Amino acid sequence: MRSIFSSATLEAERLHALDLYFMLAALAVLLLVAGLVVYTSLKYRDKGDGVEPPQESTNLSLEMLMIGGPAVLVVIFFFLTIRTSSAILPPAGETTPAVVVTGHQWWWEAAYPGTQVKTANEIHLPVGQRLLIVGTSADVIHDWWLPAFGEKMDVIPGRRNHVWITIKKPGIYEGACSEFCGQQHAWMRIRVVAQTPADYTRWLAAAARPATPPTEAQALAGGALFAHYACSSCHQIRGTAAMGQQGPDLTHFGSRRTMLAGLLENTPANVNRWLTDPQAVKPGAHMPRFIFGQDSIRALTAYLTQLK
Amino acid sequence: MAAHPVLVPEPQEALPDLDINSSQGLLQWISSVDHKQIGLMYLWMSMLFMFVGGVEILLIRVQLAVPNNTFLGPEVYNQLFTMHGTTMIFFVAMPAIFGFATYLVPLMIGANDMAFPQLNALSLWLTFFGGLLLYFSFLAGGAPDAGWFNYAPLNQYNYSFQPGIDYYCAGLLLAGIGTVSAACNFVVTILRYRVPGMGLKQMPVFVWMILINAFLIIASFPALNAALAMLLLDRQLHAHFFDTQAGGSAVLWQHLFWLFGHPEVYILILPSFGILSEVFAVFSRKPVFGYAFIVGSGITIGILAFGVWIHHMLAVGLGNVVNGFFSASSMLIGIPTGIKIFNWLATMHGGSLRFSTAMKFAVAFLVEFTIGGLSGIAFAIVPIDLQLTDTYFVVAHIHYVFIGGTLFGLLAGLFYWFPKMSGRLLNERLSNWFFWLFVIGFNATFLVQHVLGTLGMPRRVYTYPDLPGWGTLNMISSIGGFLMGAATLLLLYIIIKGIRSGHAAPADPWDAYTLEWSTPTSPPTLQNFDRVVPVRSARPFRDLKRPNDADWLKPGKKQGYHAREQAVD
Amino acid sequence: MRENKLLIKLVVVTETFFFGSLLLAFVYFSLAPGFRAQQLAALDLRTTGLFTLLLFASSFTYARAEASYRRGAAGGVKGWLLATIGLGGAFLVGQAREFRGLFARHIDLASNTFGTSFFTLTGFHGLHVLVGLIVLGILAAMAFAGDFDRDRPNSSVLSAVGIYWHFVDVVWAVVFSVVYVLPHFTHFGS
Repeated sequence: MRSIFSSATLEAERLHALDLYFMLAALAVLLLVAGLVVYTSLKYRDKGDGVEPPQESTNLSLEMLMIGGPAVLVVIFFFLTIRTSSAILPPAGETTPAVVVTGHQWWWEAAYPGTQVKTANEIHLPVGQRLLIVGTSADVIHDWWLPAFGEKMDVIPGRRNHVWITIKKPGIYEGACSEFCGQQHAWMRIRVVAQTPADYTRWLAAAARPATPPTEAQALAGGALFAHYACSSCHQIRGTAAMGQQGPDLTHFGSRRTMLAGLLENTPANVNRWLTDPQAVKPGAHMPRFIFGQDSIRALTAYLTQLK
Repeated sequence: MAAHPVLVPEPQEALPDLDINSSQGLLQWISSVDHKQIGLMYLWMSMLFMFVGGVEILLIRVQLAVPNNTFLGPEVYNQLFTMHGTTMIFFVAMPAIFGFATYLVPLMIGANDMAFPQLNALSLWLTFFGGLLLYFSFLAGGAPDAGWFNYAPLNQYNYSFQPGIDYYCAGLLLAGIGTVSAACNFVVTILRYRVPGMGLKQMPVFVWMILINAFLIIASFPALNAALAMLLLDRQLHAHFFDTQAGGSAVLWQHLFWLFGHPEVYILILPSFGILSEVFAVFSRKPVFGYAFIVGSGITIGILAFGVWIHHMLAVGLGNVVNGFFSASSMLIGIPTGIKIFNWLATMHGGSLRFSTAMKFAVAFLVEFTIGGLSGIAFAIVPIDLQLTDTYFVVAHIHYVFIGGTLFGLLAGLFYWFPKMSGRLLNERLSNWFFWLFVIGFNATFLVQHVLGTLGMPRRVYTYPDLPGWGTLNMISSIGGFLMGAATLLLLYIIIKGIRSGHAAPADPWDAYTLEWSTPTSPPTLQNFDRVVPVRSARPFRDLKRPNDADWLKPGKKQGYHAREQAVD
Repeated sequence: MRENKLLIKLVVVTETFFFGSLLLAFVYFSLAPGFRAQQLAALDLRTTGLFTLLLFASSFTYARAEASYRRGAAGGVKGWLLATIGLGGAFLVGQAREFRGLFARHIDLASNTFGTSFFTLTGFHGLHVLVGLIVLGILAAMAFAGDFDRDRPNSSVLSAVGIYWHFVDVVWAVVFSVVYVLPHFTHFGS
């Protein structure tokens, strides 16, 4: 199980230590209170004799202890807060971000500065490097969060936020939008593919290439439909005339494992289902329902899935 | 016993029409300006909305019981969780608090009514119709669906074009005006209508907490009302306060909302602190320990309440300096809260504890609220907040505070004051069943949600993928939710059975300390008092019952009395 | 009844926070680029300043009405109350005139954040003046019905309403300074 305790980044490791100190302190306080509750409840039960106990109601030194004890904890944790915050979340300065993520209802756009690469929902990053991730939003507030990476980042229209991450090991890490953003908030999941620097460089180079034109007949027909219908007004496929920016970039759609921000596996059957009736698959999604015949849908599916 | 002059106009004088009497049933309730009837109506209103809000959340728990469920669609789900939160906070917790306060404050300070009885009735009905208006949205094309804190720009017409959010604004504005007017009424009543002899230091802790609460409301609700007015202008007249596409600000809404919202959290908990201070004292047969510290910490919380709102916005990216400042102020709240917990433990220590249902809820509160308080500290520690905010850990935290804290306190108050309010005793055996069912259901529902949060489950998702552990934990949570639902039905049965056929309650069933129990009958007559017990300490009724051991006979306990005594005599 | 005055004081406190929130929104937007230029172009310090003086004068006339009441001069109460209503009404006429002028130049609630925050802030203030005028109208009616003739120096009605009316003036003093005067002296958002 991946949780906030399975730290996959150096920053999350720092956080993990703070989590542990806090949990220990909290547990100690809870046990103290619960212990005192059980002890007094058992010891001072009414004996049924109707006699009033001594009517004590003040003890100044006890009060000072009640103030002093928690105050010490507050000072300690304030110190730890400041130290950890400044270690894991220093200002971004002039650093070029490794990736700029933009939240959309209900998918993630990832743009790689310095390249033409744009992808969606599945974000490739290299391990072992301290990366700046910048986030913003195209519509409402979303929130970028992978539990194993540590802290969250609200992505807000009109603002640019950032987090720093240094991923330790290659692998697939999952997260989700964590600020309620409307109807499909549940299906706005994040998938980070962490790769060795060599694999990452290779991936980036492949992703920077425009789409290769289809060769197979059905896919060719699909490509023509894509250009002819309104698809291209929302979606971009580099190397073709499709330059829409509202929806996810589909240049290398076929190379993604999942679709619709983690809702479904990226298989021809699922693409077919989605194109047949988007609102049945992901109600509320901004993809309109086009009345295609099954022939056209099959052709479009063939075209999209071969965009590796 | 010195007969004190009656201080407040009789309710009959305030009634516009003297012909209306109890034989006219419902009309007599609707037209009432008697604080006791208004208090009871607040409590029934709270109960009504609790069932509505409860049904909403049970539907949600069915949907979340298993992964990838399709019982509710996202559209309905989002409306239900928004209405659940809004209902529970504004139309269950607030009316319940006002119900107790309206009923008890005049009785506890030896007055015959609130300072402004008609304003008191207006407050009730504004709140009630605010609630109805909010629910009317279901008939008008869809309930609000942007969460109870309704963030911008999701609350804009572009993103939520059903009228739900307009009803949210109008309903909460109405209720908000009612709430502020009630708060003003409490301040005037408490400051001007105390029986002579009762200085501020002799006030019951509950009255103190209502006084602090009233000031919190007066200072915090206007921020909400202003934000709601701005949002309504945005949606209806195309203003651009929160419209990010036309220069508006998403963050301004958060500032205004949490400037209200965080004090609101303390508005919801302080009255329970007051109730518990009464319950712990009476059922331990001891005065509340550290009266000055309990009151003082309440005032401290009230002041700090206005300096912590940014801890709801730590992920907004306001920078380490701002976040650090609000981290410090938020953690500081832990100190006065801790003082209260330990003082109640000290009240129990050395006492003679009677575990009636009221006391059981009070004792359970100590543990449950400590869990909620500690998980709250996690959100003051910026880096931990950045991990856990907006996950199920927050859901667990707020419910430990609002249920384990606020509601347990209110339930303790219900079982404590029910005999006085209704003139009947509740069935102790069934009440015990209710207590255990509710406590077990509550912990089953919310303890596991802490774990779900650390596993990465965001709040407010209508469904979730089948990840390891998620299904099991959610199923446990749903079962716990239904246990709580069953417990709530049992509570309703206990109350109705108590009112219909409970044993008649004596005037002072618990051997209590404060003035409301000194009224010669349960429930009190329409005119609360024609003479009031002399007040020389914070426990005037006990002083009367045990004149040889009266608090004011002890050294250092007579402050403030002599001057007032002379003024009256 | 001292209670009336305490209640009105509490209302004033809560209203202060309400206007504080609206003002916060105005100041928040005023820091954005281009806002100050619009402020300077749209608003006429001199004309509004003149109507501001009228509103301030109404506080003075109201204070005279209160003083007359304390002295038992019923005629004075009536006269000063009418003067107060006249001055308050003139202020509202001035505001209506200003709003109409801005609408003619296509500056309204929906035009941009300046319009939004300006009309909301000044509009809510105008609404409070209007409520005050209605209450003053009731007071004047009471005065002419002879309610203040009789020897009832203990009635707190006039002083309670006075707290509200003076408050409305103070709010305008702050709004006027921030919205009309300040942009001439600061350079935020220029």
